[in-house]
Amino acid sequence: MSIPAMPVFVDVKLREVQESGRLEYRSRSLPTWCPGCGYFSIVEGVTHACNEMGISRDQSVVVSGIGCASRFPFFVNLYGFHTLHGRVLPVATGIKTANDRLTVIGIGGDGDGFAIGGGHISHAAKRNVDITYLLFDNGIYGLTKGQTSPLSAVGLRTTTTPFENPERPLNPLMMLLSYGASWVGQAYAGHPDHLREMITQAVAHRGFSYLHILSPCVTFDKTSKTYVNLGLQVRKLPENHDPSNLMAAMHQAQDMDHPALGLYYQQFRPTLGDTFEQVSAKAGGHNT
Amino acid sequence: MNATDIQIAICGSAGDGTIAAGDILRNAVAAAGYRVICFDVYPPEIRGFGKCISRLRITTEQSYSLKRQSDVLVSLDDSHAIPHAGEVRDNGAVIFESQSIAQCGEGEHMSGHVLPGQIPYGFPLRELAQKATGGARSRNLVVLGYIAGLLGLAPTSFQRIIEKKFAKQGPAVVSRNQAGFQAGFDAGAGTFKLDDVAFGPFEKPASAGKVIMLSGNAAVVQGCLDAELDTFFGYPITPATTIMERLASELPKRGRRLLQTECEISAIAATIGAGFAGSRTATATSGPGLALMAEMLGLATITETPCVVFVSQRGGPSTGMPTKTEQSDLNAALYGSPGDAQRIVIAPTNVEGCYRCAGKAFEMAERYQTPVIVLLDLYLSNRYETVTLSESGSPFVLDANKPLRRLEPGEAYQRYALTPDGISPRAVPGDANCMHVITGLEHNELGRPNDSAEMHTAMSRKRHDKLLGALAHPDFTVTKRFGDTGKVKVGILAWGSTFGECLEAMFMAQAEGIRCAAMKVVMLSPFPEKAISAFMDDCDAVLVPEVNYEGQFAQLVQGVLARPVVRLSRVPSSPMPVELILGEIRRLSGVNA
Repeated sequence: MSIPAMPVFVDVKLREVQESGRLEYRSRSLPTWCPGCGYFSIVEGVTHACNEMGISRDQSVVVSGIGCASRFPFFVNLYGFHTLHGRVLPVATGIKTANDRLTVIGIGGDGDGFAIGGGHISHAAKRNVDITYLLFDNGIYGLTKGQTSPLSAVGLRTTTTPFENPERPLNPLMMLLSYGASWVGQAYAGHPDHLREMITQAVAHRGFSYLHILSPCVTFDKTSKTYVNLGLQVRKLPENHDPSNLMAAMHQAQDMDHPALGLYYQQFRPTLGDTFEQVSAKAGGHNT
Repeated sequence: MNATDIQIAICGSAGDGTIAAGDILRNAVAAAGYRVICFDVYPPEIRGFGKCISRLRITTEQSYSLKRQSDVLVSLDDSHAIPHAGEVRDNGAVIFESQSIAQCGEGEHMSGHVLPGQIPYGFPLRELAQKATGGARSRNLVVLGYIAGLLGLAPTSFQRIIEKKFAKQGPAVVSRNQAGFQAGFDAGAGTFKLDDVAFGPFEKPASAGKVIMLSGNAAVVQGCLDAELDTFFGYPITPATTIMERLASELPKRGRRLLQTECEISAIAATIGAGFAGSRTATATSGPGLALMAEMLGLATITETPCVVFVSQRGGPSTGMPTKTEQSDLNAALYGSPGDAQRIVIAPTNVEGCYRCAGKAFEMAERYQTPVIVLLDLYLSNRYETVTLSESGSPFVLDANKPLRRLEPGEAYQRYALTPDGISPRAVPGDANCMHVITGLEHNELGRPNDSAEMHTAMSRKRHDKLLGALAHPDFTVTKRFGDTGKVKVGILAWGSTFGECLEAMFMAQAEGIRCAAMKVVMLSPFPEKAISAFMDDCDAVLVPEVNYEGQFAQLVQGVLARPVVRLSRVPSSPMPVELILGEIRRLSGVNA
């Protein structure tokens, strides 16, 4: 199988990647993202995680909504469903309900997840659907050419906020923690090694895992979430951070000016699949 | 023995137990072998001053709709029942509480509203209830016993059904209700008989299957279970909710899964996700929910994902009239989605049809890889009929997927392979080496985005043409003609729940010597052009009765066939009156009514 040339940004690791067997998980399609886009390192992170965990390709599904991030399923060699704007989580929930054995990874951007799809996140978290939700946060609508997003910083100039964005962004990590997500973490596309480690952990978690991935949009945001700015802003979670402490996680999540990377919170509780089993048992049923 | 055909209307206020009394009555007579059609009317409020009516038509032969005139009207609350005094036929009985006459103001008591020719039947309802049960709460059972006594029905089956119905509430409630029934029965037995109603000993007909009493929604559930529904996702909305409620108790017993989602959009999204993953799956909703699902139905069409949507229509637009029936979501079901989102739309005409359409919907969704909408309405969802079900296993095909062919080494699996019948072999996640991505974007045979004119044309053709196969789907009634054969004066073309009324009207017109026929159209999309056109060839005039304002089906017929039809579109917030249809038939056939 011939591998199309990849942009220089990720090409540096090509040899290493080829040797690792990770390419099994890459499709023949060349990503359509702009050169320099942070999303390339997320593809790399996901294929790494799949390889690391020995995930069966035909037992895995990647589900996405609409937007730049949502083209992701075309670039990996797994089952994929490119759905509608904001509907990643309910579709993923349906897939997982139908077949609990599948590894399901949801992909969404900040607009897809927190604008139109905002109502679904709390319910996926509440139900503890055993899926991984990777949220690609570049703070702007890329595929529609640069409008403001619910996660855009105050003061950002976009095509729909030509006089600067007056609204403050949502705090996704606070939301997810309060929704009861059983795994909440944050990573940064500019730190690919840490990113792929976090993706692996998120996929390995049994239950609803939410990984917030900060990623610059090199085309439409030249002032806010840039590599330079994010590189200066991000920090690691404190060494002594205890991921079982929800209050400590919330405390860390409040600081949006200096986003902390790492695992904020993890809890083990019954998944949606477990709940179905419990309900069936109560009904005196048996699985067929 | 004379054939029985009696209609009883029980009327009361919300909380009086009106619907419960109707429920026990219909189950008891069904157990005795009678055919029953029953339709309850109730307000959107749970308690408070809302009107409830339970109407039952009990027959020895198959009937198709309720009669406009009842033989017996029972009042549990005179203020609600008085406006219905006029629906009782000549020589019919009006049963009411006799005790309260003195406490009532003028004009507030039923006794003052019984029309000449009707038989007033006052009896001390409260007193009997008080004596038998120590309170007035079981008045509905006392009345029920009274009716059973009057009509000479055997009390044992009633007592058995009462026991079953109230068992969950404990033995005290059971015995209270049984005592109430018995008191009413003793009071009613032998005191009175409707002289022109034969309701005597009746020999149960030998039946080829299991005869049970089901509502339209319960029949849908039975169809789903017999078709081995695997997963269900829903969001409560009247009048579809009871489908989800029943499945919620049935599916887990079978180790299958039901999820109440956060909204209609997530319900259909999860349904499509489950369909993609290979599950036999469905959701149920009503008009407003269908509107929310529209975008997702387009996704199911372009991704060719099998899924079933049960839609029970109610009065609209918007929130409209949640507890009143209407057939006005046909256009939304046919067209509601971006682009050319063809889908299969089928509409059962009676409760047994609900069962068959539900089961067959899954077959068609899988066979043609498409969303299938089963279009019911409140009148069909909530009405009860005795239906005959096969006792020899499921009548449905349990896996209608086009099987995968073994791939050659190095060959890529093509999810959307262009085949002569337009149907591509289907792989689902878990199938080895068939990884593919499906998308709402226009795509090529592999599923990769492709917006070339050639590909869009080829895929549009594929998605359209493959559905035409459904017009010849095995063991499925697409259209069916009733009445006179050959040339007729008037032909009735009808769909959905209104067909029963059309058939009754047709029988009446035939009895008057008018040559007429009726065609029921079960498959609305793809449109059975040939069958309908051939039927119209035979008719001097074609009448299309439907319960909506614009005549949506009439528009569909005229649009496709470019032939004139006569519309009978009414929105009476209730089923179309048979007399109205009959009047139109007479008018069109040149008979002066």
